[in-house]
Amino acid sequence: MIDYSLKKLVQLVITTFGVVTLVFFTLRLIPGDAASAMAGDTLSGDALEALREQMGLNEPLFRQYLDYLSSLARFDLGETITTRIPISELLLKAVPITMTIAVSTIVLTVLIAIPLGTLAAFMAHKGRKTLDNFLTGTAMILDLMPSFWTALVFLLLFSLTLGWFPASGMVSWDDPWALMQRIALPVLVLSVTQVATMARITRTSVLEILSEDYVRTARSMGWSELRVLFRHALKNAALPIVTVIGLSFGNLLNGTVIVEFIFTVPGVGNLLITGINSRDYQMVQTLIVFYALLFVTINFATDLVYRSLDPRVKF
Amino acid sequence: MTIQQSIDTPLLDVRDMTTEFRTEAGTVAAVNGVSFQIGQGERVAVVGESGSGKSAMAMSLLKLLALPGEVTGGQVLLDGRDLAKLSERQLNKVRGRLVGTIFQDPMSSLDPVMRVSEQMIAPIRRHLGMSAAQARAEAVLWLDKVGIPDPEGRIDAYPFEMSGGMRQRVMIAMALSCRPNLVVADEPTTALDVTIQAQIVEVLKTLTAESGAAMLFITHDLGLVARFAHKVAVMYAGRIVEFGPVSEIFRDARHPYSQSLLRTIPSKTALEGGRLPQIPGLPPDMKHAPDGCAFRARCAAAEDRCASERPALTSRGPDHAAACWRPAGLGEAEKQDPGVHQPRRNDQGPGSRVVVEIHNLEKQFVTPSLFSRTPRQLVRAINGVSLRVHQRETLGIVGESGCGKSTLARILLGIDTPTRGEIFIDGTPQMIFQDPFSSFNPKMRVSTIIAEPLIVKDWGDAAARAERVRWLISKVGLGPEYLERYPSELSGGQRQRVAVARALALEPSVVVADEPTSALDVSVRAQIINLLRDLQDELGISFVFISHDLLTVRYMSDRIAVMYLGEVVEYGPADLVFEHPVHPYTRALIDAVPVPDPAVEANRSAVPISGELPSPLDIPAGCAFATRCPMATDRCRTEKPQLRKHSRLREAACHYAD
Repeated sequence: MIDYSLKKLVQLVITTFGVVTLVFFTLRLIPGDAASAMAGDTLSGDALEALREQMGLNEPLFRQYLDYLSSLARFDLGETITTRIPISELLLKAVPITMTIAVSTIVLTVLIAIPLGTLAAFMAHKGRKTLDNFLTGTAMILDLMPSFWTALVFLLLFSLTLGWFPASGMVSWDDPWALMQRIALPVLVLSVTQVATMARITRTSVLEILSEDYVRTARSMGWSELRVLFRHALKNAALPIVTVIGLSFGNLLNGTVIVEFIFTVPGVGNLLITGINSRDYQMVQTLIVFYALLFVTINFATDLVYRSLDPRVKF
Repeated sequence: MTIQQSIDTPLLDVRDMTTEFRTEAGTVAAVNGVSFQIGQGERVAVVGESGSGKSAMAMSLLKLLALPGEVTGGQVLLDGRDLAKLSERQLNKVRGRLVGTIFQDPMSSLDPVMRVSEQMIAPIRRHLGMSAAQARAEAVLWLDKVGIPDPEGRIDAYPFEMSGGMRQRVMIAMALSCRPNLVVADEPTTALDVTIQAQIVEVLKTLTAESGAAMLFITHDLGLVARFAHKVAVMYAGRIVEFGPVSEIFRDARHPYSQSLLRTIPSKTALEGGRLPQIPGLPPDMKHAPDGCAFRARCAAAEDRCASERPALTSRGPDHAAACWRPAGLGEAEKQDPGVHQPRRNDQGPGSRVVVEIHNLEKQFVTPSLFSRTPRQLVRAINGVSLRVHQRETLGIVGESGCGKSTLARILLGIDTPTRGEIFIDGTPQMIFQDPFSSFNPKMRVSTIIAEPLIVKDWGDAAARAERVRWLISKVGLGPEYLERYPSELSGGQRQRVAVARALALEPSVVVADEPTSALDVSVRAQIINLLRDLQDELGISFVFISHDLLTVRYMSDRIAVMYLGEVVEYGPADLVFEHPVHPYTRALIDAVPVPDPAVEANRSAVPISGELPSPLDIPAGCAFATRCPMATDRCRTEKPQLRKHSRLREAACHYAD
């Protein structure tokens, strides 16, 4: 296990370095350069040249790359262009909010989707197709709803019509209850798609495992169907499910950007949209690196969980 | 219908059990009114071809069938209690406790993500009410009894850390651990090598005898029946067609199907140049079960009556019953397959031209180890093999799995390249694979499948190719109507015929057949073997015939090479090698094969060879076989014997071959 973790850690470091490099050079591929993209039509001539000098864009590309790496290594993420606030400060405020939403969504999803999917698989295995058809059908429809649309419908229904949840307002850590109410809708919106996807995957993999020989062996030793379902089938089915959870985290990060924008939650997603709107080149670059690192870390965690579930995994 | 038994209170009394599979295409009665009894401590074998309902019957006893299979009628009395009437809850107290079950495929029958200990201890605690420590000790005891070395250490292993033979031992230990009165074993050795099979059968036999448990043993191997069973039930199309004591069934079978089955075993006559007796036709499609006797379409003695009325199982003496209108089944004349005494069409024996010559062939695989702590490891799959195949000759290659025979086949076909050594092949080699179900593209018609090698090699134009495909399909005994079908519409035997046709498309000089008949039922197996021999006589092809079925290899081959851990240990004419084996490994292999004759089996040593094939990563320094050889001396362990001439026609690699 330690061997395996080390191996994966080496891979993590290599991937991270690749991501950082890729982001740097991709952004340098923007037609014109960063300064003119940032300035738009507002600056010209000398002013633009001054901005270039200030941003270090006149240095050779490789030099810029080394500077960028060394500042990253020092956790010096730079400042926003317009307001001159350190980006690290903004991130420290935004990350906990986004992570709270994301983790709540995953937890809610797992709590609902896995029992639901397992139940559907069990029913299908027993030949009772009605519940299974209903669940699979509903999941399919929910899965197809884009999150910006669900977000708007939920906003209209639960906030504006029913008034159950606030549609906007302060997000503060001082009042946990208010915070929960505030992020409840974003979490619900994100969960709908996630639950649908995960319940379907759970159903499929549990159903497949239920016809495996070792399930029959467990039954032949006198174990009840429920015990076999949870001890043998679900444990084996957990392997693909864990992979899907890891992957769906990527989708989820995607979703938070839209949902945070619609519900005006000051998370990383909103920061990104503000950055793009104000052409804050430095901030966008930092956020892309942040998202990429988060994603790589989650993959690393997924690999470790997978290995601990399945002793056969070697690579 | 019930058969009279000499034992007063049978342990298991099955009465008129029926099992149906309800599918959209219709209801199939896989088990159709089966009745039999098993006495205390008695071993009953159930034989039959695939689809005869033997496994469905065994699984029905404890309702272990998966949907859409369902037990729809009859009684299953275990010690007088009807299992068919029990609730799931009550049944779960019987499963594992009173009846233990052993399944066919040890590779998939144990939970891959659970340690052996977890899988074994929990049932013992539940059924026998032991404490965790007691149950663990009990589990270790059983692992020791089934022959797992170092059971205390191995009990915490995962199944994937064990070989197939070891996993099947674990399965047996699990099934016996709660001290059941009855053990149901569904083809428990089919997936294993003959040597391991012999060990497993012996373990099962000893341990059930020791605990007094009775046994229901499902198999298609008549040799195993002779070795193992007290009584035999022969199943055909969902029904028992004959039931009786093993000696009587082998000596005096009364049902035409049992008689035909026994005839398909390669006999002396067949070995002396005749053809292998075969059962014509195929088992009936169970979706449209025929009226009357299900076997009549393949029966030489069928009468008008057989088409309309189904014969019931009636007594043929004490403990013996058969379901046939004729008391003796086939008559003497009908027992003879008309083809058997026909000499092979133009058997000229092997020619003098050498078609394949292999010299000092070696193949090594290196395990990848980019990040691994262990150093790169060398797997020596083939370790200096020299062989020669003449025109129209069949070279049989035998040995346990892992001996390198399939690697050799791959090298012959050019799929793998040898690490060292030379290969000379005159003409083109072709291949026939083991599994006729997965070696075809399911979306291709038979005509395209056969034409594929022609298309790849750009052989002739479309019209010439079509002409050749028609000729090929007629050569393998199928009508042109089969050309338009898809593989899924063919039976296993028909698919293997198509595979033969495809292999012959490019006029190969040598055909490598890797276990071509192992996936087939006995009756169909004989058809394919006869076909291969006919084609050899007619077209003058050479065969390299790889199989673990020694009886078939012996029948097919002119010469035999016995392989062990990547080396040829004995090489010579088939008859000589089988009649008078020189190398101890050859002798052990032959002894491991059960002979379909209960009288012979009764007098044979139980386990001819112990242990398993050593890892090819770690080949012993001296003779590779020394670790398992009963006659090994210090010299064997240090000095490697070379393959050298033993007599005029034979070579062997043993210090004590003379």
